[in-house]
Amino acid sequence: MERLNRFIVHTVPWLTLGMVLVTFTVVILRYLFERGWVWMQEIALYMHAFTFLLAASYTLSRDEHVRVDILYRPMDVRRKALVNLLGSALLLIPCCAVLFYQSLPFVANSWAVLEGSQDGGGLEAVYLLKTAIPLCFVLLFLQALAIIHHSVQTLRTQ
Amino acid sequence: MSEFAPLAMFLCTFAVLLSGFPVAFCLAGTALGFAGLGVLTGDFDSAFLSALPARIYGIMSNETLMAVPLFVFMGVVLERSKIAEDLLETMAQLCGSLGGGLGISVCLVGGLLAASTGIVGATVVTMGLISLPAMLKRAYSPAVSTGIICASGTLGQIIPPSIVLVILGDVVSSAYQQAQLKMGNFAPVSVSVGDLFMGALVPGVVLMGLYILYIIGLGLLKPATVPAVPDEERAQILSAAFLRRLGAALVPPLVLICGVLGSILFGVATPTEAASVGAVGAMLLSLAKGHFNRTTLKEVMRTTTEINAMVFIILIGASVFSLVFRGYGGDEAVESFLTHEATGGVLGSFALVMAVMFLLGFFLDFFEIIFVVVPIVGPILLTMGLDPVWLGVMIALNLQTSFLTPPFGFSLFYLRGVAPPEISTPQIYRGVVPFIAIQVLLLAGLWFVPELATYMPAKVFGRG
Amino acid sequence: GQAEQQAAPAVQSQQHFKWKMVTTWPKDFPALGTGANNLARSIDALSDGRLHVKVYGAGELVPASGVFDAVSGGTAEMGHGAAYYWKGKHEATQFFSAVPFGLNAAEINGWLRYGGGQSLWDELYADFNLRAFPVGNTGVQMGGWFNREINTLADFSGLVMRMPGLGGEVLRRLEVTVKALPGGEIFQALKTGAIDATEWVGPYNDLAFGLHQAAQYYYWPGWHEPGTALECMVNKQALEALPTDLQAVVEYACQAANDDMLSEFTARNSQALKTLVDEHGVQLRRFSNELLAQIGKVSAEVVAEIAGQDPFSSRVYSSFDAFRKNSIAYTRISEEAYTQARALTFG
Ligand code: NA
Ligand code: NA
Repeated sequence: MERLNRFIVHTVPWLTLGMVLVTFTVVILRYLFERGWVWMQEIALYMHAFTFLLAASYTLSRDEHVRVDILYRPMDVRRKALVNLLGSALLLIPCCAVLFYQSLPFVANSWAVLEGSQDGGGLEAVYLLKTAIPLCFVLLFLQALAIIHHSVQTLRTQ
Repeated sequence: MSEFAPLAMFLCTFAVLLSGFPVAFCLAGTALGFAGLGVLTGDFDSAFLSALPARIYGIMSNETLMAVPLFVFMGVVLERSKIAEDLLETMAQLCGSLGGGLGISVCLVGGLLAASTGIVGATVVTMGLISLPAMLKRAYSPAVSTGIICASGTLGQIIPPSIVLVILGDVVSSAYQQAQLKMGNFAPVSVSVGDLFMGALVPGVVLMGLYILYIIGLGLLKPATVPAVPDEERAQILSAAFLRRLGAALVPPLVLICGVLGSILFGVATPTEAASVGAVGAMLLSLAKGHFNRTTLKEVMRTTTEINAMVFIILIGASVFSLVFRGYGGDEAVESFLTHEATGGVLGSFALVMAVMFLLGFFLDFFEIIFVVVPIVGPILLTMGLDPVWLGVMIALNLQTSFLTPPFGFSLFYLRGVAPPEISTPQIYRGVVPFIAIQVLLLAGLWFVPELATYMPAKVFGRG
Repeated sequence: GQAEQQAAPAVQSQQHFKWKMVTTWPKDFPALGTGANNLARSIDALSDGRLHVKVYGAGELVPASGVFDAVSGGTAEMGHGAAYYWKGKHEATQFFSAVPFGLNAAEINGWLRYGGGQSLWDELYADFNLRAFPVGNTGVQMGGWFNREINTLADFSGLVMRMPGLGGEVLRRLEVTVKALPGGEIFQALKTGAIDATEWVGPYNDLAFGLHQAAQYYYWPGWHEPGTALECMVNKQALEALPTDLQAVVEYACQAANDDMLSEFTARNSQALKTLVDEHGVQLRRFSNELLAQIGKVSAEVVAEIAGQDPFSSRVYSSFDAFRKNSIAYTRISEEAYTQARALTFG
């Protein structure tokens, strides 16, 4: 999982720069040259979607997802580990399971017709975009396992 | 059991959120737990759950929301290259011996930036990144600093152009159509986003004015919480060197921010487009200052990525929650309650709706609330005779207050996400209390003096 | 055993069904959203409550763009929208809603019901586990809202315009950046500048969206949508699980809705046009004949090209095109001749 996160952190963030540059190019083309292509806007949209779906698990590993931490913050290490253990097992893993399971037919149907853009001249790769949904929950599931493992160790040793 | 399920789900989610596990997963996990229970007892139609991927895809393909990472990118660049800090400090020095000068600057810049995005997550996060370090460095009390940031970050919802107002305008307009159709008027008058923008202008500016008055008050009464710029620095104010610095620190970023804001206000560019220009502009500025290199860029991209994931995973969690709520007939329960059980006439019903929306604001993003609640209650209230612009502005102001209110306000979550660990959560909560009081004051004012909202649209568009 | 068998039909006919209908329209939106509501209500009434349909506006259960998948996958049993929204699924879907310079409302009903259109539609949707029924028609639409005058093809160039379906593809050839936004997002996009121009439906719906507050020129005629058919899609298993009488209820309720919506548009559009012009000072403009002829030529190329992409689309196109050829000959000496004759005396 660590190696996976390292891979993510070295690749996914580039998408944010890509998003900025592509959108900026769209703006220049639109206002200075009165030209535009839907596929360019869709590239930026794809990059945005891939950023948050693929980085969700990595963000979790860095503990950057927001918590209501009024009670959590003052807790000692063992209690925090317990919250993360129970939360991962009872909230996060069921979420991942349900969302992964529900997204399979959704994605499969899209692949079956190699679903294209709703807009003329858009990217004909909606099936790839949709595939990011189950991928996100697989990654989150793996991260949840990593958190459980880590929390159990903390509870054993501290 | 099923008729109590929506309420039980609410209460249960409250409790689970308090555990401190990440918000997004608490919302989604608790809701799915309830859905699973309902499937077992036969109270919940499992087909609802199969709508989830389409809803997530809806969030992924929403072009309006793409403005969020772009604004965040711009904010992070301004922060990492110290441009924003210089700007705020220089503005604070201009405020001279006035205590709270920096706070007022934050409020003004927040209002500006807020006006350009109107997305709570983006603005609070950007302002948090830009101004919190500057304020702490100036020995501002952490509570006051975070209070100012949260409050001025949510200003974006009420100061036009705002995405909240745009979406609300859309929904209120269709509710107003229905109300008129129901009353037999088949060539209905329409209320537009433009009306709502105009309607929100006066309350928004008044709100910002009240914030600033409060900070000035703090400077006079409790100068230790908002210290003025030290005398020795102020002494340089009129020196040529300072004026040069002023030009360098103040002008470029202000031009950038005003350009971004102006292009949106005048309808030249969409928020997403303007944000990308802002992001590129910020990179160029920082390059010109010699602060931009490969390491900075990598940090900017990484921070933007994490914040983007944080904001959008919450949106997904909220979407799961509201779907299950709907699946349990929560929407119908609300409707029947309003039409059959609420007494006290139109204002009584409206007060009740406002209270419910306020509570929903703890859990759900404004998209969810506006899409869930307004289509249900809007036509009912408008048929009872409320003014649509007033209704819209009241709702926007109410939601803004909700997002500011501890312990669940979204703006607090977002700021928590970017605040350094030395700042405690209770400090953040304490800091926003005075601003909530100001909000409530304005809400009350608007309640008794609807003209605050309705005068401008009537004047400009000849409505009403 | 015997007693049970005798009782069985009675039990089946008393069985109650609860369906969900997802729509691509904002909840209760005039004529389109309310059309979905009316359909649900008439199914309820005709079945004496045995088939209850709950209607969900766009975004309530799934976003507008998710309606097709939701019904195809069984999330909802029914969906209400327009077939050209599903171009990403199959190019041929577009022929079942609107084709630039194609069939008007009466003609498309004729093609679907008595000209072989419906069986092609059934064949296409069977692959997606769906049945489709025409469930309303907007009549001839308006050409769109612009903030600048459109006199020549060059005036289109550089615009960002909302237009779904084949009409959008035509505009794309004219160097327009084309977006197929769902209805609920149009006003916002036009107001914020995300798009420069848009078409939506006609006076009744356009007035309801307040489009006159975001653009000043209102062009006619709607060459791109001469009579857009709306669709009700039904999940195949859900339909087949119904007793035969309820299946018939669904089918005939759709037919009734098909008639009702066109009647509503006919009545309301003329009233709303008057409001737009008299009360809101909207500037009506006509696309010039020269311009329409040029767009027509591009349209013919685009439609033929798209129809040539796969064998099924070309089958649909040849059926459609044959019907249009015949219609043109008769419509010229019937509807067209009559309206001209009426204008001689009544203006
Ligand atoms: Na704003
Ligand atoms: Na149209």
